[in-house]
Amino acid sequence: MSTGNLKDIVVNVENLEVTFDEKKIIRNVSFNVRRGEIIGFFGISGAGKTTIIRVLTCQISKKNWTGNVNVTNLSPGSKKNYAKILSNIGYVPQLEELNLYYDLTPLKNVEVFASCYGMKKKEAKNIAMELFSILDIPEDTWNKPLKKMSGGEKKRVSMAIGLIHKPDILFLDEPTTGVDAAKRYDVLSYLKKLNRRLGTTMFLITHDMEAALIVDRAAILRDGKLLEFDSNSNLITSLPNNGLVARFSIENLNEEKINIIKRFPNAPNIKTIRVGNETLEVLMDDFEKNLSKLIQFMMENGLKINAMSRDVAAFRRYFQLRIQEEEEKERLIRIQQDAIEEVEI
Amino acid sequence: MAKSKTNDNWNSGTFFNRLRYSLWRVVRQIKKEFQLLKIDKMNLVIALMMPPAIIMLFAFMSTSASVTIPVKVSVISYDSNTYVNQNNYTETTTWDNYTSKYLDAVKESELLELIEFYDASESEDEYAMETARNEMRDGNIECIIVISVEFTELLSTGYPGIIELIPDSSDAAAIQDKLNAVQDSIKIFVEENDLDPEYVLQEYEEFSIPSKYNFRYNYNMTILLPFMTFGISFVLSILVVVQEKPIPRLLLTPAQKSEILLSKFIVYSIVLALQVFLVLTVAIANGLYIAGSVIDLYLALYMLGFAGVSLGMFISTVSNTKTEANQLFFAFFILIILLSGMFVPIDAMPDYLQTIAYMLPLSHGAPIIKGILSKGKSFIGFDFFWLLGISSVLIILSFLVINRKRYEV
Repeated sequence: MSTGNLKDIVVNVENLEVTFDEKKIIRNVSFNVRRGEIIGFFGISGAGKTTIIRVLTCQISKKNWTGNVNVTNLSPGSKKNYAKILSNIGYVPQLEELNLYYDLTPLKNVEVFASCYGMKKKEAKNIAMELFSILDIPEDTWNKPLKKMSGGEKKRVSMAIGLIHKPDILFLDEPTTGVDAAKRYDVLSYLKKLNRRLGTTMFLITHDMEAALIVDRAAILRDGKLLEFDSNSNLITSLPNNGLVARFSIENLNEEKINIIKRFPNAPNIKTIRVGNETLEVLMDDFEKNLSKLIQFMMENGLKINAMSRDVAAFRRYFQLRIQEEEEKERLIRIQQDAIEEVEI
Repeated sequence: MAKSKTNDNWNSGTFFNRLRYSLWRVVRQIKKEFQLLKIDKMNLVIALMMPPAIIMLFAFMSTSASVTIPVKVSVISYDSNTYVNQNNYTETTTWDNYTSKYLDAVKESELLELIEFYDASESEDEYAMETARNEMRDGNIECIIVISVEFTELLSTGYPGIIELIPDSSDAAAIQDKLNAVQDSIKIFVEENDLDPEYVLQEYEEFSIPSKYNFRYNYNMTILLPFMTFGISFVLSILVVVQEKPIPRLLLTPAQKSEILLSKFIVYSIVLALQVFLVLTVAIANGLYIAGSVIDLYLALYMLGFAGVSLGMFISTVSNTKTEANQLFFAFFILIILLSGMFVPIDAMPDYLQTIAYMLPLSHGAPIIKGILSKGKSFIGFDFFWLLGISSVLIILSFLVINRKRYEV
């Protein structure tokens, strides 16, 4: 990823707010994306990932949103810009059936979509063949009906169609959903390969934390708010002690025992994540200094440690901690509000 | 890969440049529609093979019915067989008995089966008519042929003899068959007795089907042709928009909703043109009587079919799911059929139902087709313009609905 200047910014979003039926779906979101970056939009369902992408892809009318938004230097707020923006972007939906005519062959599908961009059949075919080769779509399937292809092959044809007109930006909605575990990494590596070869800016909307492996910057959303928008490494190093974690296997682990650990006096900023039935990960300041003291504290409080290891936190852990932190903040705000209401009564 | 030159300039520039690319996209969408249609074999079979097959079936059914089932008749003769000389008022027996000759003709006709002959002259069988009527009520005969009092005398002196026909009219659709059968016997009678020109045989009534054409087949065609052309076009187009899952994705390209819908209208109009051609070819080959012109019939049927396509497309556009489209189709189809005048004449319906009936397309089908087939009328007329009006309104509504509809991937 190159850092680049303002000219390299392909998506600029400032103070975006989206409202439907007086309900605010997106709250004051701002970010920008540079040419060639892979951006991951992470969040649980209802976080607002898809809504933001729909604003960027001209699917939401301007009457439903406010703020300054530019996609390839054009505002999706003006209907006059729709056709130009749509010719500069590609989209790969979550479900292939929404992107492909299963009865037609991959090449015929390409032809249908390419024609929407005013491309001639021969030009489309040449680009398709190049993309199919990059994506390892077997040549003997190019002229067979799509319905005869495997799920993974359909997914790759879908990606090729998203790129057929050589867009500046490609939006991918849950690209790894519905793909089995082993093939998920294949899909991600194909996306990285396409990004490197074509220089296309990519937006990945996903629940799949493994997608963080290929993104240059990750956006974490919750309840329509953009909590974080930074590189994977920056996010992890912002954790206590640069994301170093101690993983404990504790006998009969329960909430009571986790609360005991949270009361460890030497590290007030201690963070815990339960990652298994009897497994807990702990992050804290002055990790090296405090680790032995933590173990001693746990034993003194009757916690039986069966095993222990240390590691650096993955993006998945950062995401969990960040969401937990936000939930905790909201819980405290609610308690405060309830207390104020009680006093007023 | 270098960025495609095409998409840099195709959407910018003048109105005509944009229009050019819009037309380009429509043409490509049309090509896509044809590719999809080609793959959907069942739809093609329904559109192109089923209508001619139904016509063939009707032709076979009608032909076999008229050939193998002669009309059962009883003949009652009041013929006196005597001749009164006007000069001297003497009564003599005629030199020739035309009643027996007519009976021979009845027996000879393949279209008639003589069940009973009653000689009611000279009060020999004064209850003949009552007996014959009872036979007809019981279903033993379908028709009573009555030979008038001075039948032989009139024919002998060069005047037309009178034969009355009393058909069983409980089956209105079969009256013409009976009339044709009796006319066949008269034709034999006239030819064998060299009665021409004294005896003038009028071959058919005004606007009825000529006797050399199969009445039953032609009668059914006035109902079947509009019903089938409208119905099949209607049913074929109800899922065209709603079942195309990639439409929302297509709309994330510069393709417009109106371009997608327009391409579908064009493709289904072309299919309709072929369908009407095949239907007419098969119908004519099987003996369709057209008093008017074939071109008029073609255009009238095309208009009816187009009304079906327009209504189908409208339903497909307003529906959100295939189930919803099928339910709407069923509701509309039942209403259209019931109020089409096929079961109850529209003029016999209450005023408010007549208003609804005349607004529906199929109610204008039978009149326009009957006018061309039997009366030789032109397709241009109130019914045609009404169909054109309905179709235009439905097309405009379809475009308005699809443009307001939210498609999201």
